[in-house]
Amino acid sequence: MEGSMTSPPQPADGALDLPTLEVHGELDLAVAPWLRDQLDALYVGGADSIVVDLSDATFLDSTALGVLVGALNRSRERGGLVHLVVQEPQILRVLAITGLEDEFALHQDRVELQRRKGEQ
Amino acid sequence: MADEDLIEGAVRTAEREVIEISIPGSVDLVVLARFAAATIGARAGFDLDEIDDLRLAVDELSVSFGPVDAETRLRYAFLREGDAVHVRCTREPSDEEGGGGAGHSERDLIDWQQARELSAQLLDELVTRHGREIAGGRSVAWLTKQRGTGAA
Repeated sequence: MEGSMTSPPQPADGALDLPTLEVHGELDLAVAPWLRDQLDALYVGGADSIVVDLSDATFLDSTALGVLVGALNRSRERGGLVHLVVQEPQILRVLAITGLEDEFALHQDRVELQRRKGEQ
Repeated sequence: MADEDLIEGAVRTAEREVIEISIPGSVDLVVLARFAAATIGARAGFDLDEIDDLRLAVDELSVSFGPVDAETRLRYAFLREGDAVHVRCTREPSDEEGGGGAGHSERDLIDWQQARELSAQLLDELVTRHGREIAGGRSVAWLTKQRGTGAA
């Protein structure tokens, strides 16, 4: 698996108070099953919204994106959102091409996410 | 484009060269195809965005076959011809011959179907042309990316 590990899912990320998964490296078909398992774990406690921090991710293909879409559907069923923290242009391009950039809640960094949450 | 068109008579020159790699059915080795794509894209004079697009597109060719297993082999042929890169990815055995769904849960297969749909969307945008075919009883996914152009 190429440079694609993470810290364990954080059930409650301090001020964000949302289950958070940090990932880094290349998210491809080799990583997708692992990513799915990690996201499954975030929902175990009954969470509706989650955060996936892609700040240190450098590549996202359709298999990993499909896993994120699965999480999106799961959150929506519960009335929640999937927040993606992402800056990498290539990943933003993938989201734009597939028409998913407006489906996820996108944030440049966690500070912005926290600020937007505070405004709600 | 047949295999012969891609390979036969192709010797490395300033304008034309071929790179071939073959990997067993292990998804963590697809990264090798991405490395090859980046290298040949650079040699074709692609800019960084175009190289990124080619890397992703080659990855998506692999995805288009669905699940792979230990019995599967993926063969990639990269042809640089002037300012264009042609890639053919051959799956052995073909995905129609089985092995694609064996040993995978229903959820796995649903995920793969979704990935393939997303993959097709991405390829439409990332490359100049792409397609799938059966050649010699094998599944082949191919693409062409021209320097300085977006999708067709």
